Amino acid sequence: MAVQLEVFKVGKTYLIPVLDGVSFEVGEGEFVCLLGPNGCGKTTLLRIISGLEVPTVGHVRLDGQEVRPGAQNHVGMVFQEDRLLPWMSLEDNVALVLNPLGLEGVERQAAARRYLRFVGLQGFEEYYPLKVSGGMRQRAAIARALAVEPGLLLMDEPFASLDAQNRRIMQEEVKRIWAETGKTILFVTHSIEEAVAIGTSLIMFTARPARVRERIANNGKHDSREVIERLNSMIMEEVLRQP
Amino acid sequence: MTNVSPGRGRRWSDLLHLPTLLVLLAVGLVWEALSRRYGAYILPSPVSVLAGIGGILRSGDLWRHTGASLYRILIGFGSALTLALFMGFLTSLWRPARTVVHDVVTILNSTSVFVWIVVSLIWFGLTDLAPMFTTFMITLPVLAANIVEGVENVDRRLLEMGQVYRLSGPERFRAIIIPSTLPYLVAGMKVGFGLALKVSVVAEIFGVTSGIGYIMNYSREILATQMVFVWALVMIGIMLVTDKLIFEGISRRVMRWQYSLKSSRWARPT
Ligand SMILES: Nc1ncnc2c1ncn2[C@@H]1O[C@H](COP(=O)(O)OP(=O)(O)OP(=O)(O)O)[C@@H](O)[C@H]1O
Ligand SMILES: [Mg+2]
Repeated sequence: MAVQLEVFKVGKTYLIPVLDGVSFEVGEGEFVCLLGPNGCGKTTLLRIISGLEVPTVGHVRLDGQEVRPGAQNHVGMVFQEDRLLPWMSLEDNVALVLNPLGLEGVERQAAARRYLRFVGLQGFEEYYPLKVSGGMRQRAAIARALAVEPGLLLMDEPFASLDAQNRRIMQEEVKRIWAETGKTILFVTHSIEEAVAIGTSLIMFTARPARVRERIANNGKHDSREVIERLNSMIMEEVLRQP
Repeated sequence: MTNVSPGRGRRWSDLLHLPTLLVLLAVGLVWEALSRRYGAYILPSPVSVLAGIGGILRSGDLWRHTGASLYRILIGFGSALTLALFMGFLTSLWRPARTVVHDVVTILNSTSVFVWIVVSLIWFGLTDLAPMFTTFMITLPVLAANIVEGVENVDRRLLEMGQVYRLSGPERFRAIIIPSTLPYLVAGMKVGFGLALKVSVVAEIFGVTSGIGYIMNYSREILATQMVFVWALVMIGIMLVTDKLIFEGISRRVMRWQYSLKSSRWARPT
């Protein structure tokens, strides 16, 4: 399996150290879930990988190329909030991010509709974001991330604001999307059950400053109840260690 | 800014502002009584004011003076709007410009209308330019402050989204910065236009021979007090019409995404 993403000794210090030498690799087509206590630096890490933030030390390579702000990184990002433009229909929101790809107007709209249909939003293309449910907005944000056909899909607690029912539905949806598209996915979550249910590989971070505490393959060889229990005790330790 | 959906669900009594009408009726009666007590020079009767309105409608004075005033307002207000938009554009490109705009706005805001009237008389003499310039200087800080506030309040999280998806500068401007600034712009234009109307009329007292301000002052000089009241009503009318018809329409259009379900585009590529 080819390495697609290389995070190498990445450190980030704001006023306090947030990331402290985070290293891991992600192979093509992997579904990696990132776990760690509140405020340990998971969002910061995703922001560095997406090129929104520069690491203080270390580097990130995507497809062999170093990620830098303003560089031509090809990632799709689903933020914790949907970050749709409220004044544009769902379709236009998706079509907008296809502009930089050099598609014609008609192709853009067609692609946008195709991806909205893919996440189950057919019939809602022309709705404004405020007029659909939170789950639907999150789907539209996922459609937008998929539409740019990124090499890497970053998702930062995308289901945090959903109720249990919608959350389960969306988990299935993302799993299906992953299976159908073969995309590499980096998925931050607070729910260990969720991580074990959808990830092929689980990375547990330490409390701030974050390092990789442990990486667990989740390929069905281990009993998932055991894995959940182990991760639970790990996160308990980390939370208690927090300053 | 109100986000109530327009028209729907309002009762006819609300639409007609029935309580307001009753108060107006009472005021009219008291007015008539006072007019009889103090005489038409001090307080002309409501009937003579109504007759005055009929008079300027027939003679065409209404359109002549209203047109002259509106023309000056549009030039002064329009130039202020152009400059304010340019200032907003600059601040969106270059953050330090914000401080400059803030300071300029603070200084302009603390300058009295009368200063601009006197200065414009010195600079432009007894011409159209004097009221235009006064209007310009008074509306500029209101418009600039609103537009720059709008630009400052653009949601950073949306800008980040644009950055992750590699939108170009013009695309970010068109898709993110302009739409989020528009409500501030419309609010600023609404307040600014009201100010423009009030201020330009004062400036018209000096030097020019047309316009609502001129004719009001002239009516006072020839002791036609009822005409002063007539033109005051005309001003109120202009204010209401522009507010209700123009600015409410614009702001409904701009905020459409808040209360309508679907985006409606005419030319949708299929
Ligand atoms: N721009 C910034 N300036 C200063 N400190 C920051 C900045 N961004 C993040 N931090 C700090 O970095 C730490 C990690 O934040 P981050 O959002 O990455 O955590 P997280 O793991 O995503 O937390 P959560 O699970 O709550 O989402 C926090 O203590 C936060 O205060
Ligand atoms: Mg976070």
